[in-house]
Amino acid sequence: MDLLGIMLAVLGAALAAGLAGSGSAIGIGVAGESGAGVMTEDPGKFGLVLLLQALPGTQGIYGLLIAFFAILKVGLLGGGGALEVSVWQGLGVFFACLPIAIAGYFSGIAQGKTSAACIQMIAKRPEETGKAVILPAMVETYAVFALLMSIILLNGIQI
Amino acid sequence: MGVAKINKLELYVHNSVVDSVVASLQETGGCEIISREEDNGSEDYSSGRLQELDSFLSEARFILRFLEPYYQDPISPVSRAFGEKPSMSIKDLSSLSKTTDAISVSEDMRKLERRLVEIRSELSQISGFQEMLSKLQTLEYPLEFLSHGTEKTKGIFGTIPVNQLDNWQNEVQDTLGADAESFIVPVGEKDKEAWAGLFYFVGTEARALEICSRNGMSRIDIPAELTGKVPDEVARLKKKTVSLHKEEKRININASKAAADWVPVFRALSDYWSLLRSREEVFESGEFTDQVVVLRAWVPDDYLDTVYNNLSEYDSLTEVIKSQPMPDEEPPTLMQNSNWVFPFESLTKLYGPPKYGDIDPTPLLAPFFFIFFGMCLGDGGYGILTLGFFLYFVRKYKKMPSGMKQFFLLFVFSGFASIIVGALTGSWFGNMIDAFPFLHYLQPLKNMPIVLDPMNDPMTFLGISLAFGVVQIVFGLCVALYGSLRDGDYIAAFGDHGGWLVFLVGLMLLGGSVSGKLSPSFLTVGKVLGITGALILIFTQGREKESLVQKALSGVLSLYNVTAYLGDVLSYSRLLALGLATSAIAMIINMLSGLATGIPYIGWVIAIVLCFGGHLFSVAVNVLGAFVHSLRLQYVEFFSKFYSGGGKHFEPLAYNTRFIDVSENVKNV
Repeated sequence: MDLLGIMLAVLGAALAAGLAGSGSAIGIGVAGESGAGVMTEDPGKFGLVLLLQALPGTQGIYGLLIAFFAILKVGLLGGGGALEVSVWQGLGVFFACLPIAIAGYFSGIAQGKTSAACIQMIAKRPEETGKAVILPAMVETYAVFALLMSIILLNGIQI
Repeated sequence: MGVAKINKLELYVHNSVVDSVVASLQETGGCEIISREEDNGSEDYSSGRLQELDSFLSEARFILRFLEPYYQDPISPVSRAFGEKPSMSIKDLSSLSKTTDAISVSEDMRKLERRLVEIRSELSQISGFQEMLSKLQTLEYPLEFLSHGTEKTKGIFGTIPVNQLDNWQNEVQDTLGADAESFIVPVGEKDKEAWAGLFYFVGTEARALEICSRNGMSRIDIPAELTGKVPDEVARLKKKTVSLHKEEKRININASKAAADWVPVFRALSDYWSLLRSREEVFESGEFTDQVVVLRAWVPDDYLDTVYNNLSEYDSLTEVIKSQPMPDEEPPTLMQNSNWVFPFESLTKLYGPPKYGDIDPTPLLAPFFFIFFGMCLGDGGYGILTLGFFLYFVRKYKKMPSGMKQFFLLFVFSGFASIIVGALTGSWFGNMIDAFPFLHYLQPLKNMPIVLDPMNDPMTFLGISLAFGVVQIVFGLCVALYGSLRDGDYIAAFGDHGGWLVFLVGLMLLGGSVSGKLSPSFLTVGKVLGITGALILIFTQGREKESLVQKALSGVLSLYNVTAYLGDVLSYSRLLALGLATSAIAMIINMLSGLATGIPYIGWVIAIVLCFGGHLFSVAVNVLGAFVHSLRLQYVEFFSKFYSGGGKHFEPLAYNTRFIDVSENVKNV
């Protein structure tokens, strides 16, 4: 059995979960720092702050999703046993994982910064929470597109 | 439907009844009083009542702040948050206000609070003393020597670095001899500093102090209050602590009793006083003359009858003139929609209400939001959870504030949409029915309504998503066209919106027939429409430029905007992505739970925990995502075509209360 093919797919899965997760972690971290600052003044805003802090968390979930898809694709999950995967197919799965890995990492960070700024905004204007939720979601759009591309690419690879 | 029609009322009220008139207007809850314009020559209305109410309100706030921690509210905080409040009538409130002496209650409470603060500070002081005394247990002399000193003898007490101790003792011995006596608290092994004291005759003070400071002693002052021997002092402090604790307990009991008596009263009164205060603010907006007051108010059509009714009582003393808002005035916006569209108003409010006279986008976005949310969440099981959760609260708390009710109903609707989409795509908690053998009997039921499985055929689903995008964007352009026609701006109507409509439809027909999706007969139609649209745009888009060349150039360049429309349509691909993500996350949770059952003995426990916890997490994350992204499609892709918001909410003079409901409407307070 050609192990290199499977291992390339595993590398793709690892990058998708790892990079997108890191992006989310950094983003949530940045937003959390800002939230802690706001809550020193007004602990009652915990609910709103938590909501905004959670927004950059989706990239990590998308990354995890693609990672699962990738290893499902090569049969490492689900009990059927690993499939026969050629190097080219493995490389294909690896490439298919890249959109969410890259966009997940960077958009997670960018969304975290936006969330942090929006947390500052609701500190002064709690009535504008709706708008504060939309701004970070604008950043997330591109993670959603990357997720879509990764899904479509994975779907297109025949194994 | 849409934005309610608003009238401007001018009320001329005789001074003698103005109080009652304003009270009845407040009761209708349908008048927004227009603030007086600055510097129009009328005299300032200032009565002492506003200050009086403010001082009452601040007393009430103090009493509530102090007593609320002691108060056992019969209504749970959750119920309160959902709008459960006791009801009272204005008459009850008014008599309550007359019989309650807020000032004396608040004075009593202030006394209690002050005494509590004193007790707490004394207690903390005593615990400091006790800690110090515990170090000095081996001291035989009265503390008086250290705190005051006597005629002949004095003492100093403090900490000395452990490695200096011997040196210090030797020096004391050598220099002062029998004139001084040193005292060292036993030193622990790890201590770096030792507690030590020195007693000396007053005559040798200078030398004694010099030795101490040379050896690095840092002085600790013994409080003047401590004079006796250590064990006596310890006993005295203990007794004092006990009595202070007793007193604190007594005060707390008193405060709890007071809380049970006064918190409901002052909650009601603080509401009553604030609604009186809002009446006083009305007077500040009125124009006063010797005989009459002039008030101006915005009143929506629906409230006119009630307002006239309530005023009929003062018929002979009031005069009402109704007029339509002038073009240069900016009346507030009140959205009125049918029950089906009502929950979606909260989305329009989030963006900003429409200007008076503009189109209310709520009924226009409602069906799109409904479908989009359904597609983004796209799972029947999660839809049931969402619907059930929010429906439970809506049914349980009938008195929920209107804004909150709108929001909750919105999620009830959205959950329903998700159930429909879930049924059509065969997604119930992902692939749960297929994944667990004990649910297999449901398979025929699940498979029956399936139209399309996005997992197997994502491209078709993508096509559907983009098609919805095209529909919504074209619809948005049509609304914009209608809006411009209504305003009589024909160039904008046919040039901007119409031009784009024709151009885009032409391009789509062209693309469709070239790629073979549509019959070739559309080819010519598409070409004609595309070219016509492009020509309209080229001729109209540069109309604000001066020279002919500039006009032509900006006309041609405007065609590049077609990329923006392309981007808008592609943005709708998120409907597929989020829908797939929901199903896939659910599928993975099911798979992990299935794998966990393989673990011996405790496998099924882990599986159940994974399954429940995982799906709960997933539904929370995905509902948030579905909401935010469906909303974004409305705000960014749809609203940008025709809607700009910019209105202000209708904020009538009404019973805006925090703690109570004003129920029976009793006039003439």
